[in-house]
Amino acid sequence: MKKLLLYLIVACCFFVKASAQDDLLGDLVKADAAKVKNDYTIATFKSTRIINMQSVEMTGSGNLQFMISHRFGSIWKEGKGWTNVAQLFGLNAGAANTYMSFEYAPKSWLNLGFGATGNAQLESWAKFRLLRQQTGAKNIPVTVNLFSSFHFDGSEGPSPDDFAWNRFSYLNQLLIGRKFSDKLSLQLIPSWIHYNYVPYGINNTNNVFSIGIGGRYKLTNKTALSFEYARQLNGYKNLLDESASAVNYVPDLISLGYDWDTGGHIFQFFFTSSASATNIAQLAQNTNYVRLGNFSLGFNLNRSYGIKKIVNTP
Amino acid sequence: MKKLILVAFALIFITNLIDAQTYKTRDGYIFFNPNKDQSHKDYAAASKEGTAVLKVETSEVALLVPMKTFHFNNALLEEHFNENYLHTDKIPNATFKGKLIGFTKDQLAKDGVYNISSEGTVTLHGVTKDFKSPVKLEVKNKVATFYCVFKIKAEEYNVIIPDLVKPKLSAETPIEATIKFQLN
Repeated sequence: MKKLLLYLIVACCFFVKASAQDDLLGDLVKADAAKVKNDYTIATFKSTRIINMQSVEMTGSGNLQFMISHRFGSIWKEGKGWTNVAQLFGLNAGAANTYMSFEYAPKSWLNLGFGATGNAQLESWAKFRLLRQQTGAKNIPVTVNLFSSFHFDGSEGPSPDDFAWNRFSYLNQLLIGRKFSDKLSLQLIPSWIHYNYVPYGINNTNNVFSIGIGGRYKLTNKTALSFEYARQLNGYKNLLDESASAVNYVPDLISLGYDWDTGGHIFQFFFTSSASATNIAQLAQNTNYVRLGNFSLGFNLNRSYGIKKIVNTP
Repeated sequence: MKKLILVAFALIFITNLIDAQTYKTRDGYIFFNPNKDQSHKDYAAASKEGTAVLKVETSEVALLVPMKTFHFNNALLEEHFNENYLHTDKIPNATFKGKLIGFTKDQLAKDGVYNISSEGTVTLHGVTKDFKSPVKLEVKNKVATFYCVFKIKAEEYNVIIPDLVKPKLSAETPIEATIKFQLN
């Protein structure tokens, strides 16, 4: 009996030994698979903008992004007839808005930006990543960013020149995005706009709220279709301007776009129902009624530069 | 009976002792720059998270690099690397499995620099290819560092590079691997 047991144990020992001689790589792969990791979702959107509005995508850490964003005039103005054709459907209409911006990412969770557009409109912003979509150690289904910007109106005009403070307005947005699949990403964008100063009027309000939705669908690795819709919730009807005349804004903002990643640059071509270049004017001061001709053609073009060295050259 | 159990434990202990000459490390640094102009830093990428095993008795080695741990100076290139070129969501790891040739146990015991070589297979982007390269082993202060510089052709691993990008890249990508083992 004892002898049998001994044989059994010796056999067992050899078995242990044999199993320990298993393939090294297999062990390594197994160990790696068992390791608790954070699998972050990358490239939810191609660019830091969906079309007009910010996307959950951020400029990479240590990268400086330069963006030119341009909107032409309306494709078709009512009652203008052939002039519209002569103006090449808005391309040559004499009314266009160019927005230029720089944004830099000192940290992977923080973008700082500065932008300027026609008529002395200046903007500066910070974009914070609060949550990041990931699986693995933690399972977070969405990416959540806080986008916070201030806008300075430096133009001459009927707006009060007395206090510089009156020229400021602010935009705060939550960007809640999810990459559903390789191709489809959607985003929800509640916004809060605050004006330091509004002209007197019973319907005029300092705080304007809006809710937006945006998304993209990838066609190939380099191209995607994108869309955007935002609805202003208050403060667009029967307002008064500086000279006490009535103003009505259009609460809807619709855009359709096409993203093209050329390898170094990202182009976004789009049709949008607003000719303005700044987010505040698009969301809360839109004057283009959503009708077929009232869309303008535009594009965003951006390019990133790796400023900070991340990779150590051996 | 007691004796028997003692013998059994001794046997298990001995068999484990034979296996004990296996070193593991997480300190693998893999660097590459596919650009023709090696001073063009935008293209440089590196991973600090290579893991490796070395079995001293048989000179067997294995190396694993999770592809998502490669980081670039330019974030857009990193996105392209993951999404368009190496499809790291579907093929997460690159591996090497092989043997060190000219490697002996004694080299680890004494400080010095040894020129050895390595043979085996590399699996990258789901494609397995034979691999052969000289390796430099440096043993110093109980740390064994393996340096290996080798070249691969992207096409051989089914990595499709668009014609527009091709002129910017060298035909063969030089890769530098530095793997450190802490000896005990």
